[in-house]
Amino acid sequence: MADDDRRDDRRPDPDALLALADKDRRGKLTVFLGAAPGVGKTYAMLSRARRLKADGVDIVVGLVETHGRGETAALLEGLELLPRRRVAHRGRMLEEFDLDAALARRPRIVIVDELAHSNPEDSRHPKRYQDIEELTAAGIDVWTALNIQHLESLADVVAQITGVTVRERVPDIVLKRADDVLLVDLSPSELIERLKEGKVYLPESASRAADRFFRLGNLTALRDLALRRTADRVDDQMVDYLRQNAIDGPWATSERLIVCVGPDALSEKVVRVASRLASALNAPWMVVSVEQADREIGTAERLQTIEALFRLAEQLGAETRHIIGNDFVGEILKLARREHATQIVVGVRRRSRLARLFTRSLAEALSRRAGGLGIHLVTADRGAKRRLAPAWPALPVAAVLSSVLTALGFVTATTLLGQLIGLFVDLPNISILFLLAVLGASVIGGYLAAFVAAIFSTLAYNFFFIDPLHTFTIAAPHEVFALFVFLAVAVVAGGFASRIREQAEVARVRATALQTLYDFSRKLAGTAKTEDAVWLAVSQLQASLKRKVALLTARDGELALAAAWPPDTDLELTDLTAARWAFDKKEAAGHGTGTLPNSRFEFRPLLGPHGIVGVCGIEQAAERLDLNAERSLSAILDQTAIALDRARLAEETTEQAARLEGERYREALLSSISHDLRTPLSTITGAVTGLRELGDRMTAENRDDLLQSIEEESGRMSRFVANLLDMTRIEAGTLKPKRDWVDVADVVQSAVDRTRKYAPGRAIETGIAAGLPLIRGDSVLLSQVLFNLLDNAVKYGGDEPINVYARRDGKDVLISVTDLGRGIPADDLDRIFEKFYRRGKPDGRAPGTGLGLSIARGFVEAMGGRIHAESPALKKRGTRIVMRFPASGEDKDSIR
Amino acid sequence: MNQSRILVVDDEPQIQRFLKPSLTAAGYEVVEAATGAEALKAVATRAPDLVILDLGLPDMDGKEVIASLRGWSDIPVIILSARDREAEKIAALDLGADDYVEKPFGIGELTARIRTALRHRGRSEAIPTAMTVDDLTIDPVRRLVSRGGEPVHLTPKEYDLLLLLARHAGRVVTHKTLLTTIWGPAHGDDLHYLRVFIGQLRQKIERDPTQPRIVRTEPGVGYRMTEPA
Repeated sequence: MADDDRRDDRRPDPDALLALADKDRRGKLTVFLGAAPGVGKTYAMLSRARRLKADGVDIVVGLVETHGRGETAALLEGLELLPRRRVAHRGRMLEEFDLDAALARRPRIVIVDELAHSNPEDSRHPKRYQDIEELTAAGIDVWTALNIQHLESLADVVAQITGVTVRERVPDIVLKRADDVLLVDLSPSELIERLKEGKVYLPESASRAADRFFRLGNLTALRDLALRRTADRVDDQMVDYLRQNAIDGPWATSERLIVCVGPDALSEKVVRVASRLASALNAPWMVVSVEQADREIGTAERLQTIEALFRLAEQLGAETRHIIGNDFVGEILKLARREHATQIVVGVRRRSRLARLFTRSLAEALSRRAGGLGIHLVTADRGAKRRLAPAWPALPVAAVLSSVLTALGFVTATTLLGQLIGLFVDLPNISILFLLAVLGASVIGGYLAAFVAAIFSTLAYNFFFIDPLHTFTIAAPHEVFALFVFLAVAVVAGGFASRIREQAEVARVRATALQTLYDFSRKLAGTAKTEDAVWLAVSQLQASLKRKVALLTARDGELALAAAWPPDTDLELTDLTAARWAFDKKEAAGHGTGTLPNSRFEFRPLLGPHGIVGVCGIEQAAERLDLNAERSLSAILDQTAIALDRARLAEETTEQAARLEGERYREALLSSISHDLRTPLSTITGAVTGLRELGDRMTAENRDDLLQSIEEESGRMSRFVANLLDMTRIEAGTLKPKRDWVDVADVVQSAVDRTRKYAPGRAIETGIAAGLPLIRGDSVLLSQVLFNLLDNAVKYGGDEPINVYARRDGKDVLISVTDLGRGIPADDLDRIFEKFYRRGKPDGRAPGTGLGLSIARGFVEAMGGRIHAESPALKKRGTRIVMRFPASGEDKDSIR
Repeated sequence: MNQSRILVVDDEPQIQRFLKPSLTAAGYEVVEAATGAEALKAVATRAPDLVILDLGLPDMDGKEVIASLRGWSDIPVIILSARDREAEKIAALDLGADDYVEKPFGIGELTARIRTALRHRGRSEAIPTAMTVDDLTIDPVRRLVSRGGEPVHLTPKEYDLLLLLARHAGRVVTHKTLLTTIWGPAHGDDLHYLRVFIGQLRQKIERDPTQPRIVRTEPGVGYRMTEPA
């Protein structure tokens, strides 16, 4: 087994290789680390840059402060400087690093000085190291400089050594992730020498602080820190190298730390100590806080303290986790075993002698059960204030009053009841009754009521039922004992009862939350469309968080507001930028995050199974969300993401189906058109070639018939082509009918004449009402419409006569064409105006082209008229197409 | 002269209208049918020598007509088809149709196909004596191929291919027929074999392999060997 393990270790560690692969895609971060200002970091950086530039490397200066030092400024000569962003800040113009300019320029290497710098308020990121992270994420190498005192984990050490509290801090993780750390070293005496020569720039206001800072002792201590940090890193790199290359080496056994924190002042120190310990051991570490399972989640203040601790720990490179359970020690040990932790770090509070006598501290309890785990105790500083969170949350007056009244009510009632019973029977154990009162009070009023009721009951019992009556003195000694036993039993029983009540309440709250979530997911499961899902999500979020909520989804790569609650919520440019950022990077952005914190909203990405589907913005108020709200928020967001993902898939499927449908339609259309063109073409070709090659062997009659078929088929084809062109004009929207005065009778006559020419022998009857008003329109189009209608009537109308009528109907002129053919089933009456719709076989065996009526409708509507079909028209047979045009108000007689 | 009787199956009256006088003038007797059922009945009762069949019929698919016809008759069938109905046309040829004419077509083209089809009718598929196309001579008895008097060396597969095409000279032979006859039923879809072997064959027998005159390509359908003059 041990042999197996060793063989395993000799393979390159896959995680180490993966980390390497990820690094290959990112830009490299090089940090020039110094012990103090003035050691020459900028100088070193620029000298190196000049050498690379001379070798032809694309390196630019994003931002360098020369502080007016000549030798540094001289180094900038010949290097490309990026323009700076000018920002108005508290009435002054500041020149800041322009992140977007750097991203747009995309050099191979960009130099951005002063890693610990804080950006002015309206910047995308509050801290420069975040700007730099974005640059490396975009694949740009970055060189930057950092003084050791700005490192987060050393903040307390630095403050201790120098007495100066550093406000601008850089999380250790930034330095840890840097690909290269170059130490720029200068001995403290030399540095003080340079300072005296005025070669170190210091703002005037800071000169006094500087005097304190630049002492030999301080500088030596800082130099020590810087050297150690660099050495640690070199060590880490060595281990990494050994792992990546599967070299058996003396690397540290894999240590893993679990750090327990609570909402007390000591915990911050515990985190910092643990961070130093972890980096010394080169061990991953996890910070945990334990919440009691059956208590309502603690006060907001408590939670905020824990959240702040977690943020600090994350910046220092830790994982964080909330765990829930009743048995603190058991839960911590369970986690430690699951995570294969080797050491546990806990803080030890100073406790009173009495407390030490009766209870065990967490540390003691852990050490008893730890079984092989190392335990680190972190003690509080001497004289540190014991700022423990109050064990009892401050109770509101109203609650206290109601508890007291409840207790009083129960005790009074019990006393009266006792007296009443005493009148009839002699009760030896009246105290049982009072126990009932305490339990009653505890169930209704909670722990406080139980406690108050226990006290009152003791007093009332003593006063009313123990001899001598109506005094608080007690005659018999055993009664004294009994009274104390009663008090103890009452308090304990009351405590239990109220605890049960509390648990029931917590369970109820959780059940409600669960039910809400369940309802939500059930409703969500019923939605198939994106818009339904987003509206459901925003209204649910608003209801459970009581904050403004905005949900943005991506459509064709553009992020747009899909739903918001309240619906009139408006997003400003900053908000939209933050949303876009959150979408692109799949990370939270906006208020309370490291990106665009000026936004009023915090945007969280909605990550579905097939990638990001949108972002959700939650308006942030002064109070952060508590843990419960946070939990339901992430649950709702997860559900929403899945629902949106599903909706998107469903919509894509529908679109796909529609596309397929469209393709099938186009295919049918193409085959229909080709058939309609081919048949006349075949006939013409066949007839022509037949005539040319065999004409002399044919009878004159046959020759004549072939010629006639050529003529007819040519006419058929030209009508079809004309129809196609008309349809194209209607479809393309280029149809511009004239608005002339049109005499309906004239147009009807010309269309009928045209029809008779190609279908001689068909009876066409016309009936035009006398004094018919003119209509406004295009006589050519109207004639074409009538011809198409007559053509249809000829084809489908059997051998019965065709009727064309025109008459006035109110303000309209009606024109109708009626045939007496088979008619059209009611279901098809609307569809006959569709393009390429043909009654008959779909393969185009019907004689028509399927365009006639569709063109008729297009033309009629373009002229401002309407058209519809009626069937049966007469005697249960036939079809009537009716057109309706507004009358112009003038008849032809009045014009004449 | 023994007049050949031709059955024209088409439901478009216009097509019948020009086919009948033209074919009559070309010396054939024309019988008309507008549906598949009519066509089958006409073949049985009127004993035509050849069928001209439109693939799009109102009552049944042209392919069905061929399939049921081939159950009891080997009468030559020429298909009238359209370019956009390629798959149907190939299926019909594989089902046993003898040739096809694409619409729109000239009467000359149709009568040439009719003549070829009628010539092959009732004749055994073997070539009894040597045949000559262009300057190529094929002698199936001695298994010899020569061009302009010079012997041409063909591999067995190339020879089989050439002979199969020669037996159907003047008529189209589909890819599938070529592949399954020469390579076996499992290779019906291995079109690349054909492309390679036809290419090699043309290198050896054609005067200008880039402009073949003996083995012609029928795009998407198969190959057709030019009929001996």
